[in-house]
Amino acid sequence: MRRMGLLRLALVFVTFLCPAAGAQEQAFTNRSTELRDRAAADGRTLATLPENTAVKVIARGGGWTQVEAQSQKGWVRVFHLRFPSTVEAAPSSGGGLGSLTSALGFGRQTAKSSTVATTGIRGLTPEDFANASPDPEALRRLQSWRSDRPGAERFAKEAKLAAQQVDYSEARR
Amino acid sequence: MKRLLIAAFLAAVIPAHAQFDIGRALDFGKKALDTSKKLQEANREYSNEEEVALGDGITSGFLGAAPLHRSENLQRYVNRVGRWLAMHTERPDLPWTFGVLDTDTINAFAMPGGTVLVSHGLVKRLQSESELAGVLAHEIAHVVKRHQLAAIQSSAGSDAWSGVGKELAMQRAGRGGDVMGLKSQLASAGVDLVKNGFFLKPLDRSMEYEADRLGVVIAARGGYDPYGLVAVLTMLSQVKADDSGPSILFSTHPGPGDRISELEKFVPNVLERYASQPQVEQRFRQMVSGR
Repeated sequence: MRRMGLLRLALVFVTFLCPAAGAQEQAFTNRSTELRDRAAADGRTLATLPENTAVKVIARGGGWTQVEAQSQKGWVRVFHLRFPSTVEAAPSSGGGLGSLTSALGFGRQTAKSSTVATTGIRGLTPEDFANASPDPEALRRLQSWRSDRPGAERFAKEAKLAAQQVDYSEARR
Repeated sequence: MKRLLIAAFLAAVIPAHAQFDIGRALDFGKKALDTSKKLQEANREYSNEEEVALGDGITSGFLGAAPLHRSENLQRYVNRVGRWLAMHTERPDLPWTFGVLDTDTINAFAMPGGTVLVSHGLVKRLQSESELAGVLAHEIAHVVKRHQLAAIQSSAGSDAWSGVGKELAMQRAGRGGDVMGLKSQLASAGVDLVKNGFFLKPLDRSMEYEADRLGVVIAARGGYDPYGLVAVLTMLSQVKADDSGPSILFSTHPGPGDRISELEKFVPNVLERYASQPQVEQRFRQMVSGR
């Protein structure tokens, strides 16, 4: 059992940490856009990149991504880039819960349509759910980890998070 | 009947994690409505207490199949981020509960009543607390807008809900009034929902897009750089689909690229105005991987 755990851990390491630590990510401009000298709309324009320019991603920060393009380093709006699918999905296959996808729309867009492909979950199959007995003990444990308001407020303060008044109307269609 | 039942179950549960075809669910709901008056009982508004009981049932069933991650530190960390965000919504006083599932997949779920579960596979691919906040805020938005309940109610004509319907009817008629009975019916209906399959169903796009937009607002309210969700969607757009075997399921959901475009279109002001708020990378790294 313990060995299995270690093995799994090793697998996780190999599968997840390498891509993150490794290779330069590539992206393409999805429209003609400015390469700027800093991550701001009023940054100096270093070059105008035509649509579909290949860029190397150096760093990300909020709405801007630092890239190298046409031998120059600079910043491009994150919305002006598209990223090819390069990151391996979970090290699972055949997990039947394959159908189970993310609230986040996990999957990738194919070139042809807005169809997305989804990946299975290791160890979570429809059978697992069908055969699962409710686990009130796990529920109790989960609920024991809740945070109260004062705890959440202290936690926010530690990271200098300042609450803002933002109306939903700003996000309405 | 069995197929209808299963479809109804699916319809009911999937909205919990979002990609769910409400149109189809409503269609099922409509057919059921035509054939059963019982629906009316189940279609009334749920109280918070009832919603929580239902959510507990779903969560309990879900946890029977998907174990929780063992790190209590990580669990408590995610709870603090989540609670802080939820405090800045219109439903601050739900018993908000957040958990990390010990699975490598990339996923997140919201249950009625304020329980949000994210997979460890997703958490470890994130780069900052603002990205985690983006994920949680999206799920919180589903709860705030009661997206799950809307879909569950649309499936309410199924047998699974007849017990709930009866209890509700008795209460309405002033007979019985057995709150405990109703709660346990709801909890067991929740368990049934899980047992009968947690499959992919496309969620109505408008609900997904709405949760994205509101998620951006909620993250900004919490003082985070609201671009966190955009970064997560960008990461998702890079994830290579696993195209082996039956685990694949092609469907007609909005892809991450479409969702990023929607955010660019509809919340550019919120994103820009609060872009300089903290991303909180260091604490995130410490808490998630000890890096």
